[in-house]
Amino acid sequence: MPEASPFDYEAAVLACARGERFALRALYERESRWLLGVALRIVRDRELAEDVLQEAFLQVWQHARTFDPSLGSARGWIYTIVRHRALREVGGAKAVQTLDPQELAAMADAQQHAGGEADDRGLDTESLERCLQRLEEVRRACVLHAFVDGYTHEQIAARMNTPIGTVKSWIRRSLASLKECLA
Amino acid sequence: MIDFSKPEEREAAAGEYVLGTLDAEDRRAVAEALASDRDLRAAVFAWQDRLLALSARAAPATPSPTLWRRIEAALGNSAPAAAARPPAPRASWWQSLRLWQGLAGAALAMSLFLAVQVLTPPPAAERYVTLLQSPADQSTGWVVEMSRGGALKLVPVGAPSEVPAGRVWQFWTKPQGAAGPTSLGLVRAGMTLELPVSRLPAVGAQQLFEITLEPEGGSPIGRPTGPILYVGTSIRL
Repeated sequence: MPEASPFDYEAAVLACARGERFALRALYERESRWLLGVALRIVRDRELAEDVLQEAFLQVWQHARTFDPSLGSARGWIYTIVRHRALREVGGAKAVQTLDPQELAAMADAQQHAGGEADDRGLDTESLERCLQRLEEVRRACVLHAFVDGYTHEQIAARMNTPIGTVKSWIRRSLASLKECLA
Repeated sequence: MIDFSKPEEREAAAGEYVLGTLDAEDRRAVAEALASDRDLRAAVFAWQDRLLALSARAAPATPSPTLWRRIEAALGNSAPAAAARPPAPRASWWQSLRLWQGLAGAALAMSLFLAVQVLTPPPAAERYVTLLQSPADQSTGWVVEMSRGGALKLVPVGAPSEVPAGRVWQFWTKPQGAAGPTSLGLVRAGMTLELPVSRLPAVGAQQLFEITLEPEGGSPIGRPTGPILYVGTSIRL
């Protein structure tokens, strides 16, 4: 459902900095489903994912004063807080999980579903997807495993049966070409 | 080991910091560098925004109905920002007689400023101006200009002084009658700060503005902790 007035994430975080709780609540109402999805994908445990979200919202509240809107978006900042919190939870110790085909199919559906809804959230998925498509498939997979699944270099190397040094340099170069493509 | 002096390494480190693939040691190094390295912070924020759309690849999940209550309960125990304002021991700083005596010397500077103002066309919205002066030597350091429904501008005047290492300048306002000051963010020596007045608790005359010296990252308790460097109250133009 397209909105008449886009949600002002920056104003909400700045209001949090002033101690206005309704602003944190508004962020929660607005983003919690998506943020929980992001955390759940990384920690793969419902209860743990909710713990991650709780900690992340506390962090947003406590560090709102340090948020500087001149550097970038408040939404990007919040997602990084949630992802880093989730990554800390799994601590890289998580064994590479092999998914059964049924689970994989469900995730693929979910991705398409999520992609469709994302259009309504004002996220520019199109430019990023276009740039991702320009990467070689294996390199694209490395970036996605890292960002979406929260895999470490080691986990990606094991998963893709590729030497870790190769994975590292693929990721580094993929980021550089994404940056260039998005510029 | 990341060599932060090499631009390409900084950029790669910022990207991988956001992506989440740095090892523990490098991640810590970036996190530490971020505290004092604004360019690195800017690079990290740029990567956050570049990669944000990837988050749409994770399927949404509806939180259990109790999660918000848990978060709210946890907020109660942590009093960040301006959330909790217990009566501060130095709550009466802005009433300090010595300070007001110091400010009396502001009259001349203010009249000079107003002389310039009356030459400009009359504005549509109510406008207010504040001279921020040093309680130590009465020198004028900043001018605050704001209009109702518009923007606030904090403009440095005179030679910029130096911020001591490991400390920052924080900008505050306290509308007349308010219980305590509200942070308007950190300011940098010699830089103009502009923000919408919607971020202020109120816009009016006799509104106090001040810049205090605070620990890196700003006051940890949501109200001024350090000495007042510049202070003044608004008048309506």
